[in-house]
Amino acid sequence: MQQAVGAGPGSSTRMRCLYMFNRQGVCVHYHVWLRPLNALSRQEDQKLMFGLLFSLKSFTAKMDPVGGSKGQLGAAQLQGQGCSFHSFRTNTYKLSFMETPTGMKIVLVTDQKMGDLREALKHIYSNIYVEYVVKNPLYTPEMPFKCELFNLNLDNYVKNLT
Amino acid sequence: MPPNSRPGDAVFANVERVNAELFTLTYGAIVRQLLTDFEEVDEVNKQLDTMGYNIGIRLIDDFLAKANITRCSDFRETAETIAKVGFKMFLGVTGSVANWNADGTECSLILDDNPLVDFVELPETCQGLYYCNILCGVIRGALEMVSMRTEVKFVKDILRGDDAYEMRLKLLEQVPEEYPYKDDD
Amino acid sequence: MIGVGRTKQHVNVVDRPLGKGKVEVSLSAFSFLFSELVQYSQTRVDNIAELERRLEDAGAGVGLRTLELLCHREKGNRRETRLLGILSFVHSTVWKCLFGKVADSLEKGTEHEDEYMISEKELLVNRFISVPKDMGAFNCGAFVAGVVKGVLDGAGFPARVTAHFVAVEGQARPRTTILIKFAEEVLQREARLG
Repeated sequence: MQQAVGAGPGSSTRMRCLYMFNRQGVCVHYHVWLRPLNALSRQEDQKLMFGLLFSLKSFTAKMDPVGGSKGQLGAAQLQGQGCSFHSFRTNTYKLSFMETPTGMKIVLVTDQKMGDLREALKHIYSNIYVEYVVKNPLYTPEMPFKCELFNLNLDNYVKNLT
Repeated sequence: MPPNSRPGDAVFANVERVNAELFTLTYGAIVRQLLTDFEEVDEVNKQLDTMGYNIGIRLIDDFLAKANITRCSDFRETAETIAKVGFKMFLGVTGSVANWNADGTECSLILDDNPLVDFVELPETCQGLYYCNILCGVIRGALEMVSMRTEVKFVKDILRGDDAYEMRLKLLEQVPEEYPYKDDD
Repeated sequence: MIGVGRTKQHVNVVDRPLGKGKVEVSLSAFSFLFSELVQYSQTRVDNIAELERRLEDAGAGVGLRTLELLCHREKGNRRETRLLGILSFVHSTVWKCLFGKVADSLEKGTEHEDEYMISEKELLVNRFISVPKDMGAFNCGAFVAGVVKGVLDGAGFPARVTAHFVAVEGQARPRTTILIKFAEEVLQREARLG
């Protein structure tokens, strides 16, 4: 299935897409700026992305050579705890990732030359998601959301990321 | 006491604030609606706890985003953070923690003052009401989102003649993350 | 609010000094509480009109009590008896107390003698809201309309009060207008007072 999706008016050409997963692994938000290539159905795509994050996170933690979490050795991790990766880069794109202590996973896919987006992801969480989704009186927790104010502010913010 | 001497003060100073009366009166309106919707006081207590839970699972993200705290190392630290930073950041009052059990899984959160109860006098018909029961739900909901299953209930209430607002907070278990999908779905 | 060093003991509410209205809580605390009022109300209604009605009822309770509080604190137990006086009291004193600022505007309706409008570019309760399409013209401002109604009813100026989004040219977000339609008796009395 191939479908060309162009960048919306005024949005950055460096942004590709954003995923937000809740602690149950449900994709509560998917935002696309530029993604001409869609090999999978939306649902398969999101599940694959979640699986990638989940595995990569546990692999990176297992490979930790100095290990900040000795006491937890062998034990399952709590959400957002322990060592985790924050980005990886391929020759065609860069994926930046953050997980909150509440288990929300935020993924921003950009062009491969994008710089460090850790602060940007924090901003998206603290100042855009918390303000315009979590505090929206009509938002149902844990459920996929569509919030006009979130989209507006997100679009505006990512425009200037480098 | 000089400003910023307590951890929650700086956080409270930095968040946007509103007149407490708007908050107090709105809460009063909610309790009145519940008393109309459910005639039984016990049912209202339960409903307040549920509403608190629904608030807690949202409020925790705001707390983590704004409070600038690091991960708590144990439950004692968690309880202190709720009392000193959590109550202050949202309600503008600082609580205290006391009466720990031996294995550090159960304690009391104590508030001397509480903006929910200004102007409130329990009428005869509502003597069984825990007017601030919403707070128990908020704490339970918020902690559940950071992987702690807890039980929270009021044991003292100034509106009912006690000398403080005291909630008993009990850690039941810490829930580790699991892969939410089965391989074949 | 009683000062530091009070004995921790319940003092009957009427024996406690009335606060000066300077105590604050975080806007988040109010926003989450208000959100839950909306969420809870949604579980008890079948349609948008009923939802607005419930929010209006909750607001009316707040308005009535705000009137009592402010008449006592700001006006030495006196209250406005004239139409423009009470409107200006709502637009200035009530707004300042509850929302921290005077309302953006107070206007008389151009088409109907009995209509007045208080408008706000960004009403506190609409600050974080995105209304989904399937909820049509739903406006959380119904709560604030209820507050206004509570004040007016309590002061002897019965009125129908509703909240509406009004598009503003060049702005992505609409403003909210609180439309006040006074009962006939109010206008008749006002005419008699001259």
